[in-house]
Amino acid sequence: MDWLEQELTQALARKEPAPGFDGRVRARLHRRPQWLAIAATILVMIGGGEAWRQHQGQVAKEQVMTALRIAGSKLNRVQVQLKGTEQ
Amino acid sequence: MIGLTAVRQALDFGELMREHRAMVFSVAWHFLHDRDLAEEIAQDVFLSLHKNLAGIETPAHAGFWLRKVAVQRAIDAARKRQRRPQVALEDVAEPSVRPPAGDPMLGEMLRKLIATLPETPRMAMILKYQEDLDPTEIAETMGIPLGTVKSHIQRSLALLREKLERRGVGER
Repeated sequence: MDWLEQELTQALARKEPAPGFDGRVRARLHRRPQWLAIAATILVMIGGGEAWRQHQGQVAKEQVMTALRIAGSKLNRVQVQLKGTEQ
Repeated sequence: MIGLTAVRQALDFGELMREHRAMVFSVAWHFLHDRDLAEEIAQDVFLSLHKNLAGIETPAHAGFWLRKVAVQRAIDAARKRQRRPQVALEDVAEPSVRPPAGDPMLGEMLRKLIATLPETPRMAMILKYQEDLDPTEIAETMGIPLGTVKSHIQRSLALLREKLERRGVGER
């Protein structure tokens, strides 16, 4: 190893990070569950929104069916009256 | 049982962090010449180790794994910065007097000169002189051919020698 390589070995020797490095890594490790909780909350909200939309769809479907049933019975009555008039 | 495994893993993780933090931090710091970014990368590397701890078989495997991931993350960070090394060759101060061996000024000048090298030779030089790896180990860590590693190191040494001689720092 010549002088330059010796100087390079000294210049590039390992250095410790700033004090408290382990604690900062552990703090980030413990922060993770908070993100999981936030993600879980968002998923529940999305799921809740979807269920509400499905419920609203069901209500609308029932209203349409009721309207069709009423319209159908009215048409039947008109048809019966028309037949009576023809006879 | 699960609790015991978790405790054992937490202990192992702490030991691995104590043993390898200087290596991981220094790879990133010498490569990027940016202390804050090097700290961030070192933290990310250990978080990644924690996630993959179940797949780590031996302490030696952990050392190899950490070095490889640190190298990759440092290269990725440099590419994300999307610019040439932060230290331009013109910014490397000319010494007013010839610095003695082991002089901190010479050390800083060498680190700045290393920072001006392109990515691949820069990392090869760091792995050789910081980590004392031989060319085969460097090739394995960086995933490049052995011949490329050897030629990068030879050319980088010649370039550094030339730059230093131009600045009045030569063989003693």
